[in-house]
Amino acid sequence: MGEDSFNIIWYALFAPLAGFLMQALLGKAIVARLGEKRGKSVMGWLAVLPVAVSFAIGAMITYALAQGGTTADVVLTLFNWIDLQSIRIPFEVRIDTLSMTMMLIVTGVGALIHLYATGYMAEDRDYTRFFTYMNLFIFCMLTLVLANNLAMLFIGWEGVGLCSYLLIGFWYKDIANAKAANKAFIVNRIGDVGLTLAMFLLITTIVSSSSWIGSKDNRLLSYDVLFPAILTVMRDQPVIVTLVGLLLFIGACGKSAQFPLYFWLPDAMAGPTPVSALIHAATMVTAGVFLVNRLHVVYEMSPVASAVVACVGAFTALFAALIAFGQTDIKKVLAYSTVSQLGFMFIGCGAGAYWSGIFHVTTHAFFKALLFLGAGAVIHCMMHNQDLRNYGNLRKYMPITFVTMMIAYLAIAGVPGFAGFFSKEAILGGALGNEHAAAHLGQASGWLGLFVAMLTAFYMTRMTALTFFGKERWKDLPVVEHHGHHDHEHERHETHEAHEDPHGFFMTDEEMAAKREPEPQHHELGPDHVPHEAPPSMVFPLIVLGVLSLAGGYVLEHVWHLKEWLYPQGLDVLRGHAVAGHPEGIPLMALSIGAATLGIIAGLIVYRKGLPEKEGWDLNKWSPFRRWAGNQFGYDQAVVSMGVDGGGQVGNALWKGFDAGVIDGIVNGLGWLAMRLSKVYSLIQTGLVRGYALLMLMGVVAILCYIVYAVSTGGAL
Amino acid sequence: MVPMFAYVALAAFMFSVGACGVVFRKNPIVVFMCIELMLNSVNLAFLTFSRYAPWALAGGEARLPAHMGGQMMVIFVMAVAAAEVAVGLGIIMAIFRLRHEIDIDEMNLLSG
Repeated sequence: MGEDSFNIIWYALFAPLAGFLMQALLGKAIVARLGEKRGKSVMGWLAVLPVAVSFAIGAMITYALAQGGTTADVVLTLFNWIDLQSIRIPFEVRIDTLSMTMMLIVTGVGALIHLYATGYMAEDRDYTRFFTYMNLFIFCMLTLVLANNLAMLFIGWEGVGLCSYLLIGFWYKDIANAKAANKAFIVNRIGDVGLTLAMFLLITTIVSSSSWIGSKDNRLLSYDVLFPAILTVMRDQPVIVTLVGLLLFIGACGKSAQFPLYFWLPDAMAGPTPVSALIHAATMVTAGVFLVNRLHVVYEMSPVASAVVACVGAFTALFAALIAFGQTDIKKVLAYSTVSQLGFMFIGCGAGAYWSGIFHVTTHAFFKALLFLGAGAVIHCMMHNQDLRNYGNLRKYMPITFVTMMIAYLAIAGVPGFAGFFSKEAILGGALGNEHAAAHLGQASGWLGLFVAMLTAFYMTRMTALTFFGKERWKDLPVVEHHGHHDHEHERHETHEAHEDPHGFFMTDEEMAAKREPEPQHHELGPDHVPHEAPPSMVFPLIVLGVLSLAGGYVLEHVWHLKEWLYPQGLDVLRGHAVAGHPEGIPLMALSIGAATLGIIAGLIVYRKGLPEKEGWDLNKWSPFRRWAGNQFGYDQAVVSMGVDGGGQVGNALWKGFDAGVIDGIVNGLGWLAMRLSKVYSLIQTGLVRGYALLMLMGVVAILCYIVYAVSTGGAL
Repeated sequence: MVPMFAYVALAAFMFSVGACGVVFRKNPIVVFMCIELMLNSVNLAFLTFSRYAPWALAGGEARLPAHMGGQMMVIFVMAVAAAEVAVGLGIIMAIFRLRHEIDIDEMNLLSG
């Protein structure tokens, strides 16, 4: 396989785009032509196909890369996108081990989730719209990971943000979903500001440096030009490098849901479950980790920025793990565990063991996608009820889901042999064994990570025990479940029947929420409900992901040698003092196994009898800390009230104080002044023509006098 | 030969009388007559300078365009004055029909 044959990468990139166009332009027509059932199944397969094709091509290229042992990175250019004298940005892709690894994750897990979604979304009205967004998402994500320059990466970066917005708000009739979509979009924009600023800073710094002048290649943002430039230009500018690293990390925080900007991710669970699995667990949220790996040169040169990355990662891991204890919604538990696991990845990246971040991205994609898809199967069979307190003993009804989810649970808990164990081990080993991050913060993050690993095992035991073991709690539910606010909504709903506003054009948010039509599949969960196993299209991805979660970690580390695969030549700056894989003198293996065991045992003790009394429906019986944690420690409320209400108040103050006072005051004042002046001047306008004539005459006489005087004294006029 | 100063002084005197009449008289007919007086004084000045120009006095070959310029201008002024009187009298007639009096001090519609 020669260099030319790498050109098939374009088919892999554009296949999902073609799928997107087909779904968008022809989807409705085909479903209408073939009938509801057949049309949907045809469109479902047509949605899976492009992603599977991309995966196949990606696998072929990866195989060629592994066979050829090419250490040189292949760059393929399609056309010049922006071509100026000072900067050129081609539309180009980069084929190297990192981009191929990410591509296989995105398309592989993506294809499985597409397949799953053909079953999960089968009853949805907007079936083709869903796959339109999903295919577009895969295209954007591929653009992001395959890009050879930061500008193209940014297209993909924004594109996945857009798709995330569209898919979170997929059931847009529910105002809460629309709000969650807005929240995700806006919070991501905050991160994007950091990414763009980092790009600008890189360009200006490189262009203005003396060693750059005279260089012929003006592809400033392309990695193969950018990285050597960073290495030569910024070596003696530690402040700039740290600033670039921090700005990039702000972008990574937005996309990868790290602490200051994490709070959009749990709300993003409003989307359909396959979306949660694909975007908000397996692929999109790993973009930040990918970015740090891609630009690892910057972080290698800046121990301070690395320390910030590690600390933010460790803090987020702890914070989100604690919050997960207070959640009763199965998807929310998984969402916070995602945030926590992303924190782990940043601990590894911050400590300089960049490959371990990607390793955990990979294994996390396996087991977290599996957990979400399993949760989706549970939700699907429990009449779309997502509350853990209604579940129990589901292992009897859904054996395959149970077995696969058990594998994922053991993997995330870090039980030896499962995928998560290896990657977590790599992260903690890298963190504890390296001195790269400033002020020993890498090691501190590593120790904190070890503690969080214990918490992870604990809260995942809680979730699994409450779902699959214990009593069948939905049988205790009242015959027709009605919560207080449901009745309330119902009343409001009926009052609006008489109202002459069938489309809700003039309704408030609350009225719109009350008005929403119940989705046809939203039956209430009652005591006579019998859960059933999910359809085959949903079970098959579960099994594949189960196998991957079981064996993925071992294969990647010990068969595929992921570390040498990702960084065949080692790191650029840290090469001198090699990055240690394992700390000296610390029995890491024993410690991490101990942490996992401790967490699982603690979970078993607390939850062996099913739902404890003090975690039941009555929130007053909860311990104050758990209530506080369940409420995100008040962080979300504080930020939202500060951002939204505070922003509103600032806006109001600016409007009423500055705009209406100062700006309007100046404008109106000028008008008033002109009016008063014209009143004064108009006194001259008597309307008597003779008066005007007299004034004119006097003027003429005055001018004549001047001329005569000037001429008589001999001066010039 | 009458000196040029006499003509110019006469023209200046006529102009001043006309200007004073325009400014101080209340009857529009008289104001018109005063305007005519001013125009005629200007005509007199044109003719004077035309006649007393250095090249005219030198007795040499008369250069027609320059020589006749002042006199041509007089013809123009008289034509314009005639037209102006026609229009002006028309306006005065119209005002009279409307208001039945033509005191100039009452005509202050332009007042600001």
